[in-house]
Amino acid sequence: MTDQIAIHTEKLTKHYGDVHALVDLDIDVRTGEIFGFLGPNGAGKTTTIRTILDEIRPTSGKASILGLDSHEDSVKIRQHIGYVPGDLAMYPNLTGRDTLTYFANLRGGVDWDYVDELTERLEADLSKKVGDLSSGNRQKVGLLQAFMNRPKVLIMDEPSSGLDPLMQRAFQKLMREVAAEGTTVFLSSHTLSEVQRVADRVGIIRHGKLIALEAVASLRSKAIRKVDLYFDGPVEASVFKPLPGVRDVAVENNHVRLSFDGQMETLLKVITERFHVLDISTEAADLEEIFLTYYRDEGVTV
Amino acid sequence: MLATVFTKTTRDRWKGMAIAVISLALLLLMAMSVYRDIDLSIYTELPEVFLSLMGIPDGADVASLAVGVLYGFYGALTLAGLAVSMGSASVAGEERDGTIGLLLGNPKSRTNVLVSKAASMLLLVGLGALALWGTAPLVAGILDVRMGGMQMGAYALHLFVNAIFYGFLAMAIGAWTGKRGLASGVTAGVMALGFVAVGIFPIIEGWENVAKAFPWNYFDNGQPVINGIQWGDLSVLLVASVVLAAIALVGVNRRDLRGQNVGVTLLDRLRANPMTQKVVDRLAGATRVSRIWIKTASEHQGLLIITAYLMFFVMGVLMGPLYGLMDKTLLSFADQIPKELYAFVGAGGGSMSTAEGFYEVETFGLMAPIAVMVVTVVIGAQALAGEEQDSTMGLLLANPIKRSRVLLEKAWAMVVYAIAVGFFTFAGVWLGSLIGGLGIGVGNIAATSFLATLVGLAFGALALALSAATGRVKVAVFGTVGVALVFHLVNSFASLNDTLAAWARWTPFNYYLNSHPLVNGMRWGDAAVLTGLTVVLVALSVVLFQRRDLRQTG
Repeated sequence: MTDQIAIHTEKLTKHYGDVHALVDLDIDVRTGEIFGFLGPNGAGKTTTIRTILDEIRPTSGKASILGLDSHEDSVKIRQHIGYVPGDLAMYPNLTGRDTLTYFANLRGGVDWDYVDELTERLEADLSKKVGDLSSGNRQKVGLLQAFMNRPKVLIMDEPSSGLDPLMQRAFQKLMREVAAEGTTVFLSSHTLSEVQRVADRVGIIRHGKLIALEAVASLRSKAIRKVDLYFDGPVEASVFKPLPGVRDVAVENNHVRLSFDGQMETLLKVITERFHVLDISTEAADLEEIFLTYYRDEGVTV
Repeated sequence: MLATVFTKTTRDRWKGMAIAVISLALLLLMAMSVYRDIDLSIYTELPEVFLSLMGIPDGADVASLAVGVLYGFYGALTLAGLAVSMGSASVAGEERDGTIGLLLGNPKSRTNVLVSKAASMLLLVGLGALALWGTAPLVAGILDVRMGGMQMGAYALHLFVNAIFYGFLAMAIGAWTGKRGLASGVTAGVMALGFVAVGIFPIIEGWENVAKAFPWNYFDNGQPVINGIQWGDLSVLLVASVVLAAIALVGVNRRDLRGQNVGVTLLDRLRANPMTQKVVDRLAGATRVSRIWIKTASEHQGLLIITAYLMFFVMGVLMGPLYGLMDKTLLSFADQIPKELYAFVGAGGGSMSTAEGFYEVETFGLMAPIAVMVVTVVIGAQALAGEEQDSTMGLLLANPIKRSRVLLEKAWAMVVYAIAVGFFTFAGVWLGSLIGGLGIGVGNIAATSFLATLVGLAFGALALALSAATGRVKVAVFGTVGVALVFHLVNSFASLNDTLAAWARWTPFNYYLNSHPLVNGMRWGDAAVLTGLTVVLVALSVVLFQRRDLRQTG
């Protein structure tokens, strides 16, 4: 990953009549980064992707990919991108290989050895008509067409949809490999475990507005975690409730379970000054919890 | 019957029927006002047999002529067309949209679904026929025209039964095959052939009864507008409709429902065969996807084959010998026919007394432009809107190509296919003329076929423009068909009314047959106008498509 910016949006706004699908969206995705783009249904993820790909035009603001304007230079941009749409649909009467040949022709050719290598890794069947493939196998053809031209930027909307767990792993490995080689990956997904596993940073969007933009590690460190404390004798819940960052305190004899967002050092200092702690365990918050926190209307902001 | 399916189908379709009825009412207003202003005594001296053949009742008056033209041709085709659209979509449409699984995921039988859809078709077509029934006296009242002894109720009933017959035919084909395009295409072909056959066979000595083999014969052959309900004719259509409905029910319950699964074609088998794999793979595989326009053309090859066959063999080759067989006594009367009568078929004043006039009326008057238009409007409408509807446009435009290139390549596919239909029309008529010894100039046949190609292309370009502007296939198809119908009517009536004559100059049809190219050869000015119109519409399409957001469906 470098500090160069591969995808840039500036006050990107899209209105459909009274519906504000995107509002002043500012995102910078760095070159070689895997950027997870999260949000509940209807939050504006697909609208963002369609706007930066020039499928739809912004009401105001602008976007650029690789320093090129998303509208004015859209054809140049598309020489360097691979795209997997969320509602992936292809031509049912064409075989997988015909489909790839069609798009390869439109791109002026691709390295077929690389295509064959990818086909083998994803275990795709290119001999059958797309209409005869299962949704997972169809998705593989969609992934192949996105990766086959060794794009500088990959934009993918729910790319692992329909893939079995083993194939999801293979796909994630492929994503990490191309990112390591300098490809920027913009990944919109509801498969949070996948985003958590591969993404360097995530942006969370709700009601068309970006509400969080952080490195995954940083987001997790700031998030609420479950803490289990075991003492040498019974304790009262009232002792813990006033402590800063503590909530949802449950006490059972000498065992306390609480939720905590803040610096662990502060919490431990307060507790160890007053009690004798026998054991302590914490569960690091996963992205799903963070995601749910942000999605709730009363969710916290960072 | 399922109330929800019935209600939803009716709700989805009522607007189309309402627009059709209102349009027909306005056209009837125009037709009646034209006939009101001309001297109708010219009709009274025509031989009775001719009046009968042209569907003009004895003692024709303003109202019966206008109703005969509007309802007997435009109204019947429109009502039947809407029934076909509903019939073909009933199950096959849900399969194409991928919604049949969800629909039948509910604890309801296929029979229930089909019956509900059929009931909706019957209701809407029935309401349409009723509205047409009520419209005629209303329009006559507005124009202060006497309706005389017209049996409008009987005529409306015939319109209704005729339309539902074709609706059930499409439903049966769709129910057995799951292919909506095939269902509507075959039914439209049966309708078109019937329309032509019923016009031709009665004037061929000894072949008069052949017309009875065609369903269109039972629509208004007995002149229900004058003679009241023709129960014999209606019985034929009603019994046939019931049989077709039963066939549809059996079909939909017997076969596997189609998913996205596309099945195995002959080409697929050839591709799988080691003997033919190499050649077929190149043709059906690599070549087919080498360019956008070639891929677009390959998607519509079935339509081209059917249309080209119809124009080459049926409307071209067969017509030559048929003309030779026609009753010469009847043809001798043809010269007496006032040119206004040809408004019925939009032939621009051609006369059936000559071979050229016969071909002009039968082959080039309606069928040739319709054949080219079927191909161009389908390609034009689906070019952009079809890809958007199928959600493939986003993927296509993720490649480094301009929107204008996509549009122009698709337009090129449309041009190539229009030329192909025009060529096969030319070849068929030329061969028909040779076989029949009619001696029609080959250059004139080429000129007329070329103009038919150009007029079809102009409407194809209109469909492309509507597709580019809206991203909606239905708007592009129905919008273009609606405009074409109005233009055709205006041009057909131009010789009857000075105001319409002025308006006709603005319709593409004015630059098609009005100069009688089959007799007089090519008028290059007409070709230039039609070409210019097509170019302007394609250019407009580029601008419209580049400016708008792509639609997101699904």
